[in-house]
Amino acid sequence: METRISGWRIALGAVVTVILVFMLLPSLITAVISFGSSNQIVFPPKGFSLALFRRFFAEEGWVASTWLSFRVAIWSTLLALLLGIPAAYALTRGSFPGRKILALFLLSPVMVPHVAVALALYIYFTEIRLTNGELRLIFAHAIATLPFVVVTASAGLRHIDPALERAATVMGASRLIVLRRVTLPLLTPSIIASGLFAFLISFDEVVISWFVARAGDTTLPIKMFSSIQFEVSPVLAAISTMLTALSIVVCVIVATVQKEARSG
Amino acid sequence: MQLRATKAHFRDAAYAMPAALFMALLFAFPLFSVLRQSLQQENGDGLTFQAYAKIFSTPLFLRVAYTTLEVSVSATVFSLLLAYPIAYFLAKQSPRRRALYMILVLVPFWTSSLVKSFSFMVLLGQAGIINQMLGAFGIAPVKMLFNRFGVMVGMSHFLIPFFVFPILTSLRSQPPELAKAAAIMGAGKLRIFLRVTLPLSLPGVMAGALLVFILSLGFYIIPALLGGRQDMMFANLVDFYTREALNWPMASAVAVLLVTAAAVAAMLLSKVRGGSSILSEEGH
Repeated sequence: METRISGWRIALGAVVTVILVFMLLPSLITAVISFGSSNQIVFPPKGFSLALFRRFFAEEGWVASTWLSFRVAIWSTLLALLLGIPAAYALTRGSFPGRKILALFLLSPVMVPHVAVALALYIYFTEIRLTNGELRLIFAHAIATLPFVVVTASAGLRHIDPALERAATVMGASRLIVLRRVTLPLLTPSIIASGLFAFLISFDEVVISWFVARAGDTTLPIKMFSSIQFEVSPVLAAISTMLTALSIVVCVIVATVQKEARSG
Repeated sequence: MQLRATKAHFRDAAYAMPAALFMALLFAFPLFSVLRQSLQQENGDGLTFQAYAKIFSTPLFLRVAYTTLEVSVSATVFSLLLAYPIAYFLAKQSPRRRALYMILVLVPFWTSSLVKSFSFMVLLGQAGIINQMLGAFGIAPVKMLFNRFGVMVGMSHFLIPFFVFPILTSLRSQPPELAKAAAIMGAGKLRIFLRVTLPLSLPGVMAGALLVFILSLGFYIIPALLGGRQDMMFANLVDFYTREALNWPMASAVAVLLVTAAAVAAMLLSKVRGGSSILSEEGH
């Protein structure tokens, strides 16, 4: 009996370890390669160096596309927050007819394959002659990130006790003051979390950008996509490490903010 | 009183108006344009099913449709086989340790698919890390890239986290007394798993399977980078018709079929127990 139990445990532990190693392998491999000294992709790397990171910052194309990605991610995140937070408020606090359909509509970009959205915007932007590449990307990314903002903010609102808002109203606060002084401060952790997630999603978006961007507007993922396709530059290892670090930093900030909100 | 309440509710609804308007103008309307485009006649006027008729008689489309289905189903099965042990393991941990292990699932979840593709190219390539290691043992290089194997590795890696969450939820909602009762009755660990835990977790498996299948249907990056020429999927076909063939009606018709397939699967998903919660809690 005893041996059978531990046998089961060991087997499960071994299987799970193998799968988790597989899950983490891509991040680990690129991290190790990115600190290699050579100008080629070598594993294990000979010696430690930051040459690949230096190459990333030295090559004009990479830096320019990173800045474009940053700008697009920031503006589309702001747009998604501006549209998504009030929408989440309406969906969680209001009980108007058609609420469920509206929720489904606002979340639907998650379920519609990105390539269909990409084609739709590609045709649409051509028809309405929107030629500003950066604006095209900002609008497109806001569509992709809006559902995540709505979901995260709604979850946050559901955790705020409506009694607090009611209490403020009873004390004579107007609706706007309640919103500004009670609801929004309590919602701040969710707003930060949804903003960071939106930023990350926009920063990583490839398929929609690939269709919507114009020739001159290469975001970092578009440049990575063509680089992997045509040359497989070792600089990609350095970029991969930085992107993974960015994801981890964002996740840590979100976890910290939400933990503080719960204990505070 | 009743009237005032209703008025307040409509005032609440007004907060959603900007988002609804934005989405109507830049999402719903463009998608509708795709539908219209797919029904466009080549000379410009009148509606027609020409593009659809043409598509269904094209060997390329039929092959891609078959590939998409085959790849989506096998990716769903593969990621289930890899995700279930992780979810089962996570469900057994204390909340503290579970939170810790969860990070190991979340890091791949938030890793860009381009980073993953690059990494798998380095790992699986003809002169890649795995083949180098095999070479050290005197084994001839194995072709693991630009074929179905590469697509499966890349897709499963992407999809596993999406599968872990619904299975974990369903495992955690099982009262632990059930397994205990079975153990007292003399059932071994394997028997408890096969007779109690596994059957009770099937709704979560079902919900996860549909979600993962929907996501698989629209894959673009991974088949384009890790697959061979014969691994073209719907999304890659849309790109081909848009960019290379410059045939918008055909691209639109494929996109419409793809969205329809995803919508049907999503409808099934909302019918499955626990499925509707995935649809609304996505991204957690």
